[in-house]
Amino acid sequence: MAAVICREEELEKQEMIPGSVDNIPVFVCRTSEGEIRAFIDRCPHQGACMSKGKIDGAPMSTAPGEYSFEHEGDIVRCPWHGREYNLRESGKPLAPVKGKLKEFSAYVKDSYVYVELKRGS
Amino acid sequence: MQTLNNEAKTNQTKKYSLIDTDIHERVMYEDLFPYLEQPWRRYIEDCNWQQEKHMPFTQPAVAGVDRADAKTPDGKPAGTSLPFMQEQLLDANNHEVGILTGALDPSPSSMHGWYEMATALASAYNDWQINEWLDKDSRLYGSVHIAAQEVGNAVKEIERVGSHPKMIQVLLPIDDIAWGDPYYHPIFEAAERHDLMIGMHHNEPPAPLGKWPRYFIEWHSLIATSHMAQITSMIFNGVFEKYPKLKLMMIEGGFTYVPFLMKKLDQQFKDLRHEVPWVTTMPSDTIKNRMAFTTQPLEEMSRKEWNLLVEQMGTDEIICFSTDYPHWDYDSPDEAVPKGLEDDVLERIYGENARKFYPKLPARGDI
Ligand code: FES
Repeated sequence: MAAVICREEELEKQEMIPGSVDNIPVFVCRTSEGEIRAFIDRCPHQGACMSKGKIDGAPMSTAPGEYSFEHEGDIVRCPWHGREYNLRESGKPLAPVKGKLKEFSAYVKDSYVYVELKRGS
Repeated sequence: MQTLNNEAKTNQTKKYSLIDTDIHERVMYEDLFPYLEQPWRRYIEDCNWQQEKHMPFTQPAVAGVDRADAKTPDGKPAGTSLPFMQEQLLDANNHEVGILTGALDPSPSSMHGWYEMATALASAYNDWQINEWLDKDSRLYGSVHIAAQEVGNAVKEIERVGSHPKMIQVLLPIDDIAWGDPYYHPIFEAAERHDLMIGMHHNEPPAPLGKWPRYFIEWHSLIATSHMAQITSMIFNGVFEKYPKLKLMMIEGGFTYVPFLMKKLDQQFKDLRHEVPWVTTMPSDTIKNRMAFTTQPLEEMSRKEWNLLVEQMGTDEIICFSTDYPHWDYDSPDEAVPKGLEDDVLERIYGENARKFYPKLPARGDI
């Protein structure tokens, strides 16, 4: 089962467009490199609507007191408790916990973005 | 179609009567102007006076200390709009009752100085809360705000608004005052006269070192320590022996620290009773019979872990569900509580414990 979520040209980087496929809430977005990705629009923690959050980078560090800002445009942050998931690593959380943001496959056909309910790569 | 809250889909709470014991409505100073007398209003209007903020952190989540999806549709800060709160929280989760816990941020009782201004702000806030929230939604119940630093004025404010049928508690901030001190007892006496309970909610307590830790995560991890300090102060200053109808709701500290505190206080009391001979009840019994605890922010746990905590406390009748809407660490009614708890347990924590705690809440189904 697949459904159209938006027109390809509507989808900007760092933006999430919500929709649904067979009553499953999903959102589509672009990675920092412009590739289109689709995920469930429901945080694995307490179920917040991810598309109301933000696509951002993430503070990282190699030593206490040192900050770097990495993965810019590839991290989606939940609107509630702010948990971070990597768009380019199949929705893997940045904290060392279980619970990926489920990815679906997205594709473009005739200038429309489709999401299909089989798991993305 | 996109629902407002996807989390509402599991519908766990729809079966139960939901009494949410911690909801933060928010005031903007200009909303207070109609309720704020002169000269107080001019200090804000003309001089841009603001309460001093204590907390040096605003960074916890995507939109600071608020849920990023709780900003109002017209772009105002989270918690400022009743219609939006109705839509996003009360209707979406089928609340039977929502208890408003403010606040003027920080509370007037946390102001260091200019207590006359604090008193004026508390009065204006109470009138605003009654007119703009309590009178406009039958589900909402409120908290009396006071400036406790000047006890006489605080008592006058409780006398002024405490008999409002929808005011159910007097709110005290958990900050740098230990409220069991006898100086504050007239507040408890006035609350008791009006069937009001005491609600304590941390404002910006400098827990635990008397100054701010280096990171927000350190402060937020240890909020419960400041709650423990207040419970200890209230018990050993004899507040519960002196005011036999008074109860204390500890708001936004969760409850998982309670088993430890019960054991510790009992142990200390057995040895050190002589120092506080006015205390005649074992602290753990006082906690069980005279206090309750709001759940949020609830640590993720299994049913087994939940049951072990309850077994150590000897009761689950002191646990009251709360969301803390619209703050960033909001707990969803459908998701925050461990899966698989029995029906009667859920019925108690979602609603009936709070109903039993607050004498002014309506009987089930009476709203
Ligand atoms: S619901 Fe997403 S981080 Fe909690």
